[in-house]
Amino acid sequence: MRLKEIQRTAHQAWSPAGHHPICLALGTSAQQLDASFNTTAALEIFETDFSDPCLDMQLKGSLPTANRLHSIVWVNFGMGEDGIGGRLIGGSENGTLTVYNPEEIMSSGADAVVGQSDKHTGPVRALDFNPFQSNLLASGANDSEIYIWDLNNFNSPMTPGAKTQPAEDVSVVSWNRQVQHILASANPSGKAVVWDLRKNEPIIKISDHSNRMHCSGMLWHPDVATQLVLASEDDRLPVIQMWDLRFATSPLKVFENHTRGILSISWSQADSELLLSSAKDNRILCWNPNTGEVIYELPTTNQWCFDVQWCPRNPALLSTASFDGRITVYSVMGGSLKAQQQSAADKISSSFDTMDPFGTGQVLPPLQVPQPTMQDTIVPPLKKPPKWVRRPVGASFAFGGKLITFENTKLPPAQSPQPVPRQVFMSQVTTETEFLQRSRELQATLQAGSFNNYCQAKIQNAKSDAEQDIWKFLLVNFEDEARIKFLRLLGFSKDELEKKISKCLGNNFQHNGHGVDAKDLAEKMQRLSTERSDDSAAVGDAARTSGSVSPADFFSRTPKENSNFQIPVSCDTDGLISQALLVGNFEGAVDLCLNDGRYAEAILLSISGGEELLKKTQQKYLSKQKNSISMLISSVVTQNWRDIVQSCELDNWKEALAALLTYAHPEDFARLCDTLGGRLECEGTEKRCLQACLCYICSGNVEKLVECWALHRDCSSPLGLEDLVEKVMMLRKSIERLRNSEVAVQSPVLAEKLTCYAGILAAEGSLSTAMTYLPENSDQPGITMLRDRLFHAQGEVAVGQQPPDSFNRVNVSTAKTAPAAQAPAPKAQIMSQYQPSAPSQVAAQSQPPMPSVFTRQAPPTNTGPGLPPSSHVLPPGAARPAMRPSYPQHPAPAPGFLPPQPFQPHPMSMGGPSAFPPPGPSMPAASLSGPPLPPSSSTPGGLPPMPSPGVPPTGFMPSTSLAASFMPPSSQPGAPVPMYPGGPHNQGPAPTMTSGPYAPLGSGYPQGGPGAPAVKPYPGPAVAPPPTGAHEGWNDPPAVRGGPRKKKVPDNYTPPAPITAPVMGFPVDAPQPHDHAQVPPGAPQEPSVKLLQQLPAERVEQKEIPAEHMVLKSTFDSLVQRCQLAAGDPQTKRKLDDAAKRLGFLYDKLREQSLSHNILNGLHEISRCVASQNYQRGLEVHTQVVTSSNFSEISAFMPILKVVMTIANKLGV
Amino acid sequence: MVSVINTVDTSHEDMIHDAQMDYYGTRLATCSSDRTVKIFDVRNGGQILVADLRGHEGPVWQVAWAHPMFGNILASCSYDRKVIVWKEENGAWDKMYEYTGHESSVNSVCWGPYDFGLILACGSSDGAISLLTFTGDQQWDVKKISNAHTIGCNAVSWAPAVVPGSLIDQPSGQKPNYVKRFVSGGCDNLVKLWKEEDGQWKEDQKLEAHSDWVRDVGWAPSIGLPTSTIASCSQDGRVFIWTCDDPAGNTWTTKLLHKFNDVVWHVSWSITGNILAVSGGDNKVTLWKESMDGQWACISDVSKGQGAVSTITDTQQNEQ
Repeated sequence: MRLKEIQRTAHQAWSPAGHHPICLALGTSAQQLDASFNTTAALEIFETDFSDPCLDMQLKGSLPTANRLHSIVWVNFGMGEDGIGGRLIGGSENGTLTVYNPEEIMSSGADAVVGQSDKHTGPVRALDFNPFQSNLLASGANDSEIYIWDLNNFNSPMTPGAKTQPAEDVSVVSWNRQVQHILASANPSGKAVVWDLRKNEPIIKISDHSNRMHCSGMLWHPDVATQLVLASEDDRLPVIQMWDLRFATSPLKVFENHTRGILSISWSQADSELLLSSAKDNRILCWNPNTGEVIYELPTTNQWCFDVQWCPRNPALLSTASFDGRITVYSVMGGSLKAQQQSAADKISSSFDTMDPFGTGQVLPPLQVPQPTMQDTIVPPLKKPPKWVRRPVGASFAFGGKLITFENTKLPPAQSPQPVPRQVFMSQVTTETEFLQRSRELQATLQAGSFNNYCQAKIQNAKSDAEQDIWKFLLVNFEDEARIKFLRLLGFSKDELEKKISKCLGNNFQHNGHGVDAKDLAEKMQRLSTERSDDSAAVGDAARTSGSVSPADFFSRTPKENSNFQIPVSCDTDGLISQALLVGNFEGAVDLCLNDGRYAEAILLSISGGEELLKKTQQKYLSKQKNSISMLISSVVTQNWRDIVQSCELDNWKEALAALLTYAHPEDFARLCDTLGGRLECEGTEKRCLQACLCYICSGNVEKLVECWALHRDCSSPLGLEDLVEKVMMLRKSIERLRNSEVAVQSPVLAEKLTCYAGILAAEGSLSTAMTYLPENSDQPGITMLRDRLFHAQGEVAVGQQPPDSFNRVNVSTAKTAPAAQAPAPKAQIMSQYQPSAPSQVAAQSQPPMPSVFTRQAPPTNTGPGLPPSSHVLPPGAARPAMRPSYPQHPAPAPGFLPPQPFQPHPMSMGGPSAFPPPGPSMPAASLSGPPLPPSSSTPGGLPPMPSPGVPPTGFMPSTSLAASFMPPSSQPGAPVPMYPGGPHNQGPAPTMTSGPYAPLGSGYPQGGPGAPAVKPYPGPAVAPPPTGAHEGWNDPPAVRGGPRKKKVPDNYTPPAPITAPVMGFPVDAPQPHDHAQVPPGAPQEPSVKLLQQLPAERVEQKEIPAEHMVLKSTFDSLVQRCQLAAGDPQTKRKLDDAAKRLGFLYDKLREQSLSHNILNGLHEISRCVASQNYQRGLEVHTQVVTSSNFSEISAFMPILKVVMTIANKLGV
Repeated sequence: MVSVINTVDTSHEDMIHDAQMDYYGTRLATCSSDRTVKIFDVRNGGQILVADLRGHEGPVWQVAWAHPMFGNILASCSYDRKVIVWKEENGAWDKMYEYTGHESSVNSVCWGPYDFGLILACGSSDGAISLLTFTGDQQWDVKKISNAHTIGCNAVSWAPAVVPGSLIDQPSGQKPNYVKRFVSGGCDNLVKLWKEEDGQWKEDQKLEAHSDWVRDVGWAPSIGLPTSTIASCSQDGRVFIWTCDDPAGNTWTTKLLHKFNDVVWHVSWSITGNILAVSGGDNKVTLWKESMDGQWACISDVSKGQGAVSTITDTQQNEQ
């Protein structure tokens, strides 16, 4: 394919391979005249710009020369690092050899001629430069003259040896391409001589015996040192001979195809299998010298081409110089001549005059030679693909960090006897060693459940204090009595404090420490409990008699110490107070006291004056007190923690958090922690951010933790991400452990981070691990695609693991099967299918109201056991919004799409494998808390009316379904255990996130159970709804979880009781034997008292209490329950709550079967006493057991048992 | 760490020119100067020859897997000037389409992002680039960019499907307004970017830095950032990384990754777009990674599929 063309009658030289850009130097040819008979001469340099498709070449410089040239070469010598320069050497007709600096020519400087010599006596026809030493140049002229020039010292050339005799023209000189001191020369008579410059003599002479070899060209083999070719100009022998010096008596091969004498040859340095020749038969052929085959014929002019040259830099290019005065650049890669090139050629013709460097100013008639025909025929490329297009090596990445590599070892020239192995290597690339190591550790921990050890190790290896703090907090979540330990971590130790207080008070405070003599202790306990029970008794009595809180306590004692006293009735304050009291005007008395600064009296009096007055007085007092602890006191008294977290100094975050840990109601705790965390986070500094993280860890708010962390820490690096994921997984595991269910954290930030994390794992080849982190049930195309890819990539290993989300496969059939009807619009059809949508969204596009719900295929495992009856009554309006936020909350008419009946099963299939697990063993809470009060709530104890029945069923339904969606799908046999069980509703605000782990919705409901009605310390409004519920709009589907429930509750609804141990709320009514029938088999029925007491969930893994001891639990629980119902005052109430909690320790011991016979017998005896309401006897047995047992064995529960019995005794239940 | 997990003996009778895994990394396609294309099932460390595809009459330079949503489809291009699209139908591989519109060796084939449908770009030594779009029912629409690269086009690589100016997902049901773009490299030493406008392909950018043939170009997968990244390698031994932060795609800046002593034949981005594999004429494969401060560093020398991986340190970065 012709690329460039220029009208010149000239000898040509390509710029060397290192030269950039590629240039062509043209020196006016000697012995050729055009029709103008112009005899001027010039040296010109053209640049070949192949980005410009036109045929022109840009003239970069021109230098008039005195002589016309027979030969020209462009050598590396003197070429700069920048790839320009070098030297041009021209051999002229009169024997002058001139060295030019091409850069000077191009900048049209005057110093272009660098050196000149007229050593040669005749026309210099032969020039070649040494490929190894660019300063060495060989030249040949007439009279057997051969000189070796050193461009560093141009004036004194050497000779390769004595002149050959008889003297004749030297037509070619050529340096060996492998051995630098070997030079060959040839002359028209057909003889070739090989010179050894080290010996300075000819070492071999080559000539065949035909005497017809008129050497026009001679070239050394580019790769084989001993081989060279000779081309003959003689029309009688138009051949190329290949000689091997190892057998120099006759040619090795003779290439015959030209019909007339060969004028020029050129051997590609890039591929030794390409040898060009041009001949007087007007043809330019390319040979494969190894086979002798002509593999290409250049479409050329009808003119002799006297010079042909491969471009050293661009191996596909060659240039030809023809006698019709054209220099043409061709590519051997085929292609056709384009119209635009045609036009470009025309342009050249028309602009020839202006470009005429010879300045004749005459329009010349075209030469009397046939015009080159513009061929539009397609020129095929070389028959043999040239070496330079044969890619020998490759490395490509594939999914999962795989690298596919291959290489082709260079074949030795001789045919190797054995076939070369053609191998492709598949490698695993892992770049994040530390990341993988840590990920493996995390994975091992998650599988083994050795969270404590993991956290411990993290604490030990923490690089910073902040890091250490975070891990300490995370660790605490896995331990018992987390709140207390959190406090300790914050620097508030109860023990320490007790010591300090006692020191401050100067008392030698006796502490029930360990290692005390059991007997001694038992006595003390006895004493203690008696005191306490006395207290309780007094309280109980007071409660019964006065009906108000227990001021009687104080007044009943105070007077005893004074035998006589006066009642002042004067007009001073004292008197007024007395009088007010005498007439029962507490309010007035209190005002007087307050006015007089007698706060203590004011408070005392207001206690008697009723709750309202007390509150008022407290407020007044607190509003007057402005010292630093008043705020704290105020909050403690008024239970108003919101103020603390909202307005405390941020430096006091620790104290605020401590206060929350100590006092905050479980329902509020998480939210308050989050509020505090939010304030810290707002500050924006790294320190505050870490503190905020600690708050979020306390509250178990995974989402907030992620967001806060991601905001302030760099999570873009794998290790940064690993840092985050480790913490998140630990926090989540701890919550799961506490709540005993999978936690569906549905935060976009977390989902994004985990997807990113999974992506890195996948890229490092940990495909199966990556799968476990990938957020479940996400509709996001990125996630579904990655899951699909991971699934398939694992090959057979993963088969059956999970039905993959498949693409919207496009049927690209090879068979012509389309019916005629479809034919008109095949394109549109296909294109619409090309939507890169997640599989389920295809239907969504046509039926927007019901997106994924109906297209998503429910995995077979999902349709199994079926939901319990209560779940079947899910009203569509309640269930659907929970699934899909964008769907209207109220059941739309579902026009022609969805009759209500068939809709019912859908909630089951919607969620995919995890959202709606079979409500078997793992969802007792959900199935028991349905709107028709489950039997477990209406215990035989005769409960007062519960708040729940008054609640519209729909209000509760969402929580039921939500609870179901939280349940781990692990109960499904054979189903995968996803890390993130979350239904498709995950785009909405996540319920777990909003309410925090401590205020779960579904399973937390029972906490308001039996104990609730009687208790009123927290007025309704104080129990806040789950936070997000507050700002959600009414029609926002997610609000179903929080908002509607709250809103639909009647105003007089008493919120769930402020039980500090909601866990106990449920179990209290659980022990009734018939309950077991309600709980699905295998479901946990016992609360884990070891857990954070606020958490309502059960632990599945707990063992059952042995049947023979169940009676203990049921008896004691029902006792506590009875007491709770009967107890009136908060103090007793609190004691009972505490009791409910502490009895858990007993049940734990029963489960573990770690109690000695003696104790067990004693407990059964006590239980019998309790059952018969003989508490007195029970207390006696209790004392016996305590005195005769190892204290450490019983300390956790025996004292409280006594308290309960004492209370029961007092209450007479 | 680069460790060999499987060595596939292809039994090709001549030089292998390309080896590509499918989308899932479970099947390997190879092509060779022996004119054949072979497909191996390499799941779980195996190497089962699935197909030995014959149809080309010259060395086969490249193979490319289509996205699996279209089925199992493989394209191959050859020195014989043909592009063949192969398809597996009921377990048997067969020719689905043969394109003979090029006048010289077809050096590169690359499937567009699946978002664009089944579209194949082909770069040829005749200087043209063809875009073949499956329009259904065995029909292929052919668009040809003539003289895209004088003397020849050596490589084509598609840009990831990104909606210009927006990283937010388009509302579902509405066809995203993707702009189709790809990059090509050729014997004119140029890297060119092409963009489809109103159904016509237009030259969008011309990136000049190489001083010799551009052997390969690779548009990095999108990693969610608005930055576009392209790697180009050349006969001149240089590998350049081109980046463009400008949403309009007009301002490209270049950074020299490395100057090798030999021709660099091939560049390949990891799926996550953070590692670049560079293979050169000296049979060397090196892996490169960008450090946090934007410097590229060699993290591994791979030989026969094996090599160590070093982490990027400051000193290494400075070595450049």
